[in-house]
Amino acid sequence: MGLTLLTAPPETDLLAQLHSLGMSSPSEPVRSAADAAAELASLVASQDDADDDLLHPVDENAADDDIDDAADLAASPDGVEEETVADTVEEGLDDAEPDQAQLRVLFEEQALPFIDQLYGAAMRMTRNPADAQDLVQETFVKAFGAFRSFQQGTNLKAWLYRILTNTYINSYRKKQRDPYKASTDDLEEWQLGAAQSTTSASRTSRSAEAEAIDHLPDSTVKDALQSISEDFRLAVYLADVEGFSYQEIADIMHTPVGTVMSRLHRGRRLLRERLTEYAQERGIAMGAVSRRTAPTRKGA
Amino acid sequence: MTDCGCEKAKSDLEEYLHHELARREYADISEHLANCADCSDEVHVGRVLTDAVKRACRDTAPEDLRLQVISSLRVTISH
Repeated sequence: MGLTLLTAPPETDLLAQLHSLGMSSPSEPVRSAADAAAELASLVASQDDADDDLLHPVDENAADDDIDDAADLAASPDGVEEETVADTVEEGLDDAEPDQAQLRVLFEEQALPFIDQLYGAAMRMTRNPADAQDLVQETFVKAFGAFRSFQQGTNLKAWLYRILTNTYINSYRKKQRDPYKASTDDLEEWQLGAAQSTTSASRTSRSAEAEAIDHLPDSTVKDALQSISEDFRLAVYLADVEGFSYQEIADIMHTPVGTVMSRLHRGRRLLRERLTEYAQERGIAMGAVSRRTAPTRKGA
Repeated sequence: MTDCGCEKAKSDLEEYLHHELARREYADISEHLANCADCSDEVHVGRVLTDAVKRACRDTAPEDLRLQVISSLRVTISH
């Protein structure tokens, strides 16, 4: 019954939301239930419940978090939620709470469009397609398990990224703990010296640098990004590709905003340095004509 | 004129590029950039860098993955 929820584990702000939203016992309808039902009203119509027979809640993720910020909102409630929803439906309260099929329609409509972006982020994290696919798959299953706790109208994309990151930390980074554990914020300080020097380059070489970076093939840029340490890489990815604010990145990565700033700054400096090196190694003439601006000068 | 000068512009450059500055600071730095070729070149490199990363990281999830996700959501429904 819904009461089992009260035993739910660690307290995060997200778990707190679980309690205050649609996850309470069926005998205490919650305020969000009405909203959710209204939102769903137009969606439900033709959903059949045939597949209700199949299933098994996916809960392999539980009890896996030896990283403290890993109090993953999706990790605990999965199994519990299945039961709650089923009970709710049995007791005929489905006008007050959307049933699982309705929820799934809403979830597919709202969350699935982020699959390309989540996959991109998963690629940056795992650095290989097979793991990235597993990670995205697991993320969606967990997100769906916790979707009832998602507050409609808040930032779904950031919520999904948070689950993705938690899942990555719990399930994947663990496997590679040793190589990455040390990837903290002061490790690559020695590499910054060279990057600093580009920053003080002369005007001419700076605009040449911009052109050279602009010239590089996508694969090179990806390689460079993959070569910097994980924390820096993710900060750069979340800010520059996904356009998250510093605060959103701090929430996703479970770090203070100041840490986000320093990771982003350092990550971008390293990246810039590597891209400039690549350009030089590959003989892309500094000052060559940009492929993205009108070719007004003599070409490379 | 509220030109903030090179030092301030350079130290807040990343925040400027990532739209993390308060309106006043943003305006001060914008004004400086309008008058300082050196700093505006630096901003230009920063923008090119962002664009290069953005362009390179446009991934598309494999179709198989999409189908797998959809089917696992359906299987997740309990009875």
